[in-house]
Amino acid sequence: MELDAFRKSLDDWLDEQQSELAPGFAGAGPLEAKMAQIAKVRRLAFDAGWARWGWPQRVGGFGGSTLLRAYLSEAVTVRDLVEPGLYSMPEVLGPSVLTFARPELSAAMLPPLLRGDEVWCQGFSEPGTGSNLASLTCRAERVTGDREGWRVTGQKVWTSLSQYAQRCVLLTRTGPAESAHKGITALFADMDSPGITIRPLQTMDGEQEFAEVFFDDVFVPLDRTLGEPGQGWTLAMDLLPYERSTALWQRAAWLHQRLRDLVGAAEPGALDPVALGEVTQLVYAFRARSRTTQRRMAAGEHLGPETSIDKVLLATAEQALFDLVAEALPAAVTTGDDPESERWRAEFIYSRASTIYGGTAEIQRNIIARRLLDLGGDR
Amino acid sequence: MIEGEDLRLFEQSLHRATRTHTGAALDAALAELGWPDALAADPHAAVSLVFGLQGAANVTSTALDRVLAHALGHDAAVVLPALGQCSAPGGWQAGRLSVHGIGTASLGERTTALIVAHGTGPDVLVEAETASLTWRPAGGLDPSLGLVEITGEVAGAWPVGPADWSAAVTIGQLALGHELVGASRGMLDLAREHALQRIQFGRPIATFQAVRHRLAETLIAVEAAAATLDAAWLDGGPQMAAMAKASAGRGARVAARHCQQVLAGIGFTAEHPFHHYLRRVLVLEQLLGATRCLTRELGQEILERGQLPAPLPL
Repeated sequence: MELDAFRKSLDDWLDEQQSELAPGFAGAGPLEAKMAQIAKVRRLAFDAGWARWGWPQRVGGFGGSTLLRAYLSEAVTVRDLVEPGLYSMPEVLGPSVLTFARPELSAAMLPPLLRGDEVWCQGFSEPGTGSNLASLTCRAERVTGDREGWRVTGQKVWTSLSQYAQRCVLLTRTGPAESAHKGITALFADMDSPGITIRPLQTMDGEQEFAEVFFDDVFVPLDRTLGEPGQGWTLAMDLLPYERSTALWQRAAWLHQRLRDLVGAAEPGALDPVALGEVTQLVYAFRARSRTTQRRMAAGEHLGPETSIDKVLLATAEQALFDLVAEALPAAVTTGDDPESERWRAEFIYSRASTIYGGTAEIQRNIIARRLLDLGGDR
Repeated sequence: MIEGEDLRLFEQSLHRATRTHTGAALDAALAELGWPDALAADPHAAVSLVFGLQGAANVTSTALDRVLAHALGHDAAVVLPALGQCSAPGGWQAGRLSVHGIGTASLGERTTALIVAHGTGPDVLVEAETASLTWRPAGGLDPSLGLVEITGEVAGAWPVGPADWSAAVTIGQLALGHELVGASRGMLDLAREHALQRIQFGRPIATFQAVRHRLAETLIAVEAAAATLDAAWLDGGPQMAAMAKASAGRGARVAARHCQQVLAGIGFTAEHPFHHYLRRVLVLEQLLGATRCLTRELGQEILERGQLPAPLPL
């Protein structure tokens, strides 16, 4: 299906199904409710076929351009049906699993993800491994015999939605401690495996969105290896550009919509025209950049370090927008207790993290300096 | 549309022309390469290529004049709005023309000038003998642009029909946006080269994170402006073009600040080429709407209409 035809028929369907799709809560809603809402939207969109477009037929999709996926995420965002950060997870993890998992594994695992029956999480960061991903220490030892596989021991942290997840894309150390990026293996672990303990962390806005995940001698079957042993770094380098780019189109739609809402909500005189003009330019620049990236991905181009620019532009635009929100709607952000105020406040607080998650602002600039400007090593 | 191999060859020729010529010689080279025909056939390719390359090479031509004259449908030197502004430079009342604007180097080569003027009704396109205009040189920061300031009443001006000033401003802002982005890339190249060659504490200064991040910041600002320019061509409307010009103007200021700091002492001398770029972008930023003015107008329009510009569809 072509994008224009898809857009038209999806919009019609969303209009028809509005009452069925609408969330049962006002404002931001608690995380549980948001996750249930996302699962409902995914299920309805999958069963009606929309969520299958843009994914290959071998994983239960209908094929077609990845732009169709991007448009679906935009359409459910501008209708306020889903929270974009939580909703975009399949766009982050799906493409790399598609590339690195055995065909039988991806064929079995992607449909329940796309239908909202399952949630996946990303086991990358560790207490001692934030920006320096290649130093990770969560250990996987090869076991042979009746059950071929890996035994995993270690800890992950900042693992978003891990308490809701059935599966985890997990980076483990399989080489010697000093093997750095060469000794990393990616596994696809079941989160109900014996030996996994999850301790949710409370964020400053009161949500338990991410958690510490402890692995104590957890068995992962050999056929759950993603790619070859030692190929974990390659998978991570494949995955991070998706996290920093294609998943972001939905954020562009969300920023645009929240900017529109701000213009509608602000009292006369509360918005300084210069500040509003500048934030608008930042939001539109990010959207323009992200559109180019979606188009490149749809054309089959490889996404690489240039996606760090997309991530920086998102973080810049998002923080500028919510700084303006805090100026123009001070009561909503500081003291309001109605659902709309709580949503503005939650989004303001969350925007503080946009220069931290998915590679900090500093790491993105390091990547840009080294890989795009070719400035060589930093020592 | 100029596409594929044709586009590549055209770009190569234009690249050579902007690296070897400036001023009248560059105008002649552009004419020989068929750039004026390309402007009519494929304005996007013609404008983005020439202005990007002209900015990167820090050379001058009368291409902006040609772009504006083409949009207005007449062939003559075009008077630009006063510094910082983007409203039409003329006033037309009871058959009398008054002008407050900027003239470009082509005024000296042409016998007639085009001035778009506010009247009581729609904007009017007025022609005047260039000899009848009162001007003073406005060399200032960047004399090689050959700008002049035009003020006062003009005797001997005649209306030649209604004018689509908005269309002329739109494509003019895109042209200037590409030139600012080109100049920003030019500054980044100079700073990058310096950072890799300059040794301090026994290593190239490009190894220091403070320096690396300034250069990264520059590339981010430049790419944001470039993406907005692409979007503005797709959109085709005046609001997106103004946003693109503002993004390019802001990006150029970011580039100038960081690159000059990385170049440090040598970048403050007249011996290093950096200062030519700094001069150029500071003046270009003021043509057809300064960044701050365009940004304020955008904010005011949004507040008045209560709605945002239409977002670019996927």
